[in-house]
Amino acid sequence: MKRDQKDIVNSQGSLSVSDESIARLLCDDSHVEEAMRLIMKKYGEQLYWHIRRMVVAHDDAEDCLQETMINVYKYRSTYSNEYPLSSWLYKIATNESLKLLKNKAGFTMSVDDLGDSLKDSVREEASPDADETLILLQEAIALLPAKQKMVFNLRYYDDKSYEEIHQIVGDSVNTLKTNYHYAVQKIKDYILEHQL
Amino acid sequence: MKDFDLESLSREMPYRMPEHFMDNMTERVMSQIGKERKQHRERRIVALFASAASVAAVALLFLHPFGGGLDIPDYDSISQCASVDDLFQNMTADELGMYSMMSNYYGN
Repeated sequence: MKRDQKDIVNSQGSLSVSDESIARLLCDDSHVEEAMRLIMKKYGEQLYWHIRRMVVAHDDAEDCLQETMINVYKYRSTYSNEYPLSSWLYKIATNESLKLLKNKAGFTMSVDDLGDSLKDSVREEASPDADETLILLQEAIALLPAKQKMVFNLRYYDDKSYEEIHQIVGDSVNTLKTNYHYAVQKIKDYILEHQL
Repeated sequence: MKDFDLESLSREMPYRMPEHFMDNMTERVMSQIGKERKQHRERRIVALFASAASVAAVALLFLHPFGGGLDIPDYDSISQCASVDDLFQNMTADELGMYSMMSNYYGN
């Protein structure tokens, strides 16, 4: 692979390939498999946790991540350089998470009605030595409406700017700020109410 | 009213990711992509053959519109040929000799 000026060697000595280089490889049919491996290496874990925060159960996150990566491969020609590669990947992962939740909700319920069952899964999925406040935080997040949950997770855990969240979720920055504000308020109330 | 500082919380998750999960996932994804690529190649070959067959069919139609240009003998003339053959087979030696003489005489 031809090394780009933006590709850097990190402190462990391994090559950190720039998104521009990965995007170029992704659009080149003879290098697409290399691009997919680089995406998995660079973004796989971030995407897994983003999905896991949405769907809670590991098995669901596993299915979602696999579908996400297959869709990245299938729809690679639709990627536009106007947006960062990471935003495009997060967008696909978010859509896959919502699709899985919609399937779980079925025809009679909406995704937002899944809050209680997702909250119950948090405790089942938590590791035995997990901090109680962190479990409460995840329970509070599970109870949020899907849009507020997405915005909160992307801002709080992934440190995304509102502009980046706009690229992923699609709503205006003001709407996103409002969603984040409500999410924080609901989470604080839940933790204060349930904390020992 | 009591307040709670979210920023003071650790960003750690209370869940664990199984060991070697990402490596296994990468291999699964790559194997799935390999299958997709193979299917895509097969679909392209089928599409290529289908378009070649379409071009051949159109070319045939253009060269022989509605089959009018083909010299296929009709059923009646084939039956007539068969009946003439029968006639020759049933002729006696004298009749054949006479036919041969008459043919030579009329130049046929």
